[in-house]
Amino acid sequence: MADASAVAVRRPRNSAWPSPASLILTAVVVAGVFAFPWLNPGYRALSFAVTTGVTAIVLYGMAIPFGQAGIMSLGYAGLMGFGAYTAAILSRDFGMNMWEAMPFSALVAALAAGLFGLPSLRISGHHFAITTYVMCELLRIALINGGKFTGAATGLDLPPIGTVLGVKLDKLSNTYLLVAAFMFISMLAAYCVARSRYGRTLRSIRENEQLARSIGVNTNMHKVGAFTLSGLFAGVGGALQAYNFRHISPDLYGGAISLYFALMVMLGGPRTIFGPLAGAIIVTFLPEVMRVDPVDSRIAYGLALIAVVMLLPGGVIAAAGRGYQWAVRALLGTRPKAGSADAGASWT
Amino acid sequence: MATLEIRGLRKTFGGVVALAGVDVTIQSGEILGIIGPNGSGKTTLFNTVCGVYKPNGGTIRWNGVDIAGKPSYAIGCLGLGRTFQQAMSFPALTVRENVQIAIEHGSRRAHGLGPRWSSPEELLEFVGLGGFADEVASVMPFGNLRRLGVAVALGGRPAQLLLDEPAAGLNEGESVQLIHLLRRAHELGVGICIIDHHVGLMAELCARLAVLHFGNKIADGPTEAVLNDPKVIEVYLGGDE
Repeated sequence: MADASAVAVRRPRNSAWPSPASLILTAVVVAGVFAFPWLNPGYRALSFAVTTGVTAIVLYGMAIPFGQAGIMSLGYAGLMGFGAYTAAILSRDFGMNMWEAMPFSALVAALAAGLFGLPSLRISGHHFAITTYVMCELLRIALINGGKFTGAATGLDLPPIGTVLGVKLDKLSNTYLLVAAFMFISMLAAYCVARSRYGRTLRSIRENEQLARSIGVNTNMHKVGAFTLSGLFAGVGGALQAYNFRHISPDLYGGAISLYFALMVMLGGPRTIFGPLAGAIIVTFLPEVMRVDPVDSRIAYGLALIAVVMLLPGGVIAAAGRGYQWAVRALLGTRPKAGSADAGASWT
Repeated sequence: MATLEIRGLRKTFGGVVALAGVDVTIQSGEILGIIGPNGSGKTTLFNTVCGVYKPNGGTIRWNGVDIAGKPSYAIGCLGLGRTFQQAMSFPALTVRENVQIAIEHGSRRAHGLGPRWSSPEELLEFVGLGGFADEVASVMPFGNLRRLGVAVALGGRPAQLLLDEPAAGLNEGESVQLIHLLRRAHELGVGICIIDHHVGLMAELCARLAVLHFGNKIADGPTEAVLNDPKVIEVYLGGDE
């Protein structure tokens, strides 16, 4: 009964390839994002698009512990800060360029993320979120009081990114393409994590920690591991952001910024492939490009967050996926095959 | 054959003595039932053995290794599986994913002692949930959820399975099916130790019974002898229950 030969092995759906509909949608999104600079968006929109892409990189990292392991951290602005300051200090003291500094940024942010995640072994939910928020604020205060090493409240300056293979990456449209490439790599990485055995292990922690432990899942190790992994994304995002702005200061990495990150992930949906990107676009890009009054937009975020949490759990992308399935059913009078038309709606 | 040896196990919660020095030996070749009135320490016994609580005294040896006070995941890795009093699952995941997670962790073990499952489907077929692989766990009827709990535990490749009231909330027919399932698991070489209130079910399934009362073991032996023991009849079977 229990040996390998006894029962025909059907391939579990989790390891199957994504459906054609998802692949087409993904191709459209990738093409759209890379085509953006050729639509003559103007300097202002393009520079916000770069910021949006950098933010999305961090959000894809955040989606791993939040979406998969179910642990919300408000430390990601701070982790991005670790990445950014690492890049700036390595440039100033050791003359490293962005490419040389980026691995260190990722590593430092990952270690910090593991450290930020440690309280999750003892506390959970809101209490943990508040703890990480406080850590972020502590980092900001430490940066302000860091004297010459951190540039105090003024912050630090960075050199231009420079030229790679004859491509001048400091030209804004090229910076945009660079960030877009990193953003899609992050998306792919987060997707692979979610679909992997490791992703399933993290979901078991989210769903029932006690049961997970009883079958031998070292939940503490995997929680800290998920945070550490997500820190890599934040570090890369921080380095890119530092070189994009060419000037960083402590106010970029406070707890309030982390709250915006959380807002974006929840609006877009942490468990969907396009959720973090959608969240970043909705909160970082659209209000600025449409020149919405900042006070109005904050009111709108509050209302939107309440609406999403109450009406669209899983975020707008998951809701769009469900809407699409509903439309297919209504139009064709059939149920779409499971997984065939999820419109990238779900990783899990 | 795997052996779980519990000697002088003590567990107190503040002033409450939940286990007052319990001795039990469980061989994986047998089906042992543990009965006792509410509050007699049955679930505490499982939770202490499985590392949810740290014992205040005594030893727990699993295949000769002292596991007292080890974290519960480490004990799960050693081939000691369990189910819970509440029907537990990974609720938002599909039934297939529920058991897949367990199998992935079970198959990783070098010293996994229980039966090996080649796929989630095989295990689901074994517990009678073959047609439910794509269902989300939380929407399944309660009886299936109980089976899923057993499936997840079996997926971890336990040599010994500790079942905490697996038949609670099940109707007559479902209880009978559960007994069949546990018997078949036992035939695969999984040791079964089961807590339940249902004396009829226990009498049918278990060759040996141990009785707990206020944290003490008051009887241990062949089922029939234990059920006829005057002490047992007084504290449990003939009590106010």
